[in-house]
Amino acid sequence: MGISFWITLIVFVVTYAIIISEKVHRTVIAMAGAGLMVLLGIVTQVKAIEGIDFNTLGLLIGMMIIVGIAKHSGMFQYVAIWATKVGKGNPTKIYILLLSIIAVFSALLDNVTTVLLMVPVTFVVAHNLKVNPKPFLIGAILLSNIGGTATLIGDPPNILIGSASGLTFNDFIVNLAPISVLISIVTIALLIFIYRKQLVAAPESAAIIAKFNPKDAISDVKLLKKSLFVLAIVLVGFFTHGTTHLEGATIALGGAALMLLLTMHDPEEHLKEVEWTTIFFFMGLFILVVALEEVGAIRMLAEGLLKLTGGNMIATTMSVLWGSAVFSAIVDNIPFVATMIPLIKDLGAISGLPLAPLWWVLALGADIGGNATLVGASANVVVSGIAGREGHKIGFGEYMKIALPLTFIGLVMCSIYVFFRYLV
Amino acid sequence: MTEQEKYLVRNNMQNVVTSVNINATFSEALQKMVDGRTNGLVVVDDENYVKGILSSIDLISYLVPDYLEEDKHLAAFEVAEEFTTRIKEIENEPITKFMTKDVHTIKEDRTLMEAATILSEFKIRQIPVVNEEEKLVGYINRTDIKKAIAHVLGIH
Repeated sequence: MGISFWITLIVFVVTYAIIISEKVHRTVIAMAGAGLMVLLGIVTQVKAIEGIDFNTLGLLIGMMIIVGIAKHSGMFQYVAIWATKVGKGNPTKIYILLLSIIAVFSALLDNVTTVLLMVPVTFVVAHNLKVNPKPFLIGAILLSNIGGTATLIGDPPNILIGSASGLTFNDFIVNLAPISVLISIVTIALLIFIYRKQLVAAPESAAIIAKFNPKDAISDVKLLKKSLFVLAIVLVGFFTHGTTHLEGATIALGGAALMLLLTMHDPEEHLKEVEWTTIFFFMGLFILVVALEEVGAIRMLAEGLLKLTGGNMIATTMSVLWGSAVFSAIVDNIPFVATMIPLIKDLGAISGLPLAPLWWVLALGADIGGNATLVGASANVVVSGIAGREGHKIGFGEYMKIALPLTFIGLVMCSIYVFFRYLV
Repeated sequence: MTEQEKYLVRNNMQNVVTSVNINATFSEALQKMVDGRTNGLVVVDDENYVKGILSSIDLISYLVPDYLEEDKHLAAFEVAEEFTTRIKEIENEPITKFMTKDVHTIKEDRTLMEAATILSEFKIRQIPVVNEEEKLVGYINRTDIKKAIAHVLGIH
């Protein structure tokens, strides 16, 4: 092992450690680490740019533009207010409906966008019911991560996996949606049991909620129609990309272009709204991982894992599932999955094991595992931030007391599902 | 008074200025506004250095919770009591949380043209006036400039 191997390893580990410590903005440190890899000559610039998955970036940017425009129509709030009205002032019914909507939305939008749209609604609904908003907030975190598991576009780790593996949108739905739905049902049922004493509404709230007019939530009917049209086209694009062979970035960026064309808004404002810090964070990560691959460290990790599991399919799959879950509970799941992708490819190449189950357990572990702690996923951090500002601070331990057992149950369900579906 | 001195800030400003101490709370600041019959307060520290500006819109904006700020149409569904609940929640919050900290001041020996330029450039209503030691001595507002313009034109 040469000197460049150790230098790469040190740069990589220090960069990831600083990302986890959150002392420096994750984008800045990822870019700095990536820049160092190129400057030190570990990877050439050509190699570094080849390592960036522009399909993932294009898909993220496209969806950010579409949703950034669509959210101004009030369509997402409309659905939530409508559900509240359907729930007729019964807090348990409303709780089930709102959490289900959060799960569905986060399967189609990214989780942070979903909670940013839905948390304000849950505050208003909880105030109307005169119940504590906390069960709604904790439920929103859990269901946004569980719902996001169901599709290729639901959660950034899934986008990464989809782009790298060549698995289609429908592959994700067929393999991950069933278990995502099952875990959603069990989680909501357990949450209702846990919060049964808090989900009791004030008697007058039913009358107030009956007067809700969901249409008041819509700010722009024309924009609403255009948004629904574009979202429908994008969804059809994803459902059919297995046959059309269009890549995710083509569909999402095509949808974004159509959205901009239809609304004729000034693109400058909407392009500014794209979370460029996230995009640059991904770019930095891709380059860091390429450097690690380049010096052979990923291959060594893969060989190490296989030695540990003896190349046994069940042992390998289960360790990827639970290992991913533990890592994602503690650290941001995006850098973890970015590193795991070449590792899974190497696992397949060395051992000849079928790759698909490994991709599914990586997605399941990373997405569901993120629920275990308040820092496990971006949505968790965002919700606890809003809650704190509104005087409903969610404590780290307070959250874990509810979320850790529920996450564990979810992962046990994943294990059983994966075992019977792929391993026997 | 020479012609030049006539159009200096010192000779056109308001000497009585309603200020509030930087350690004040939401409700103390509101009390000052009500007492002083004004919508704007200059925030000063114990040594009378200007630290910020607080206007009634700052109080109103702070009253609106972030989640409604984010999603204005949801306000239509919020319960009526939330208005009073929220006021009770924030009444003891320090004004440093919502005052405008980036404040433009002007020295009392500067010209009215400089004052007019600041008012027009930043579209603000009033500028705190400070002395050589940067301590608050008064304020000059749009009406003061308007009066000075009228004076030049001989309009009474």
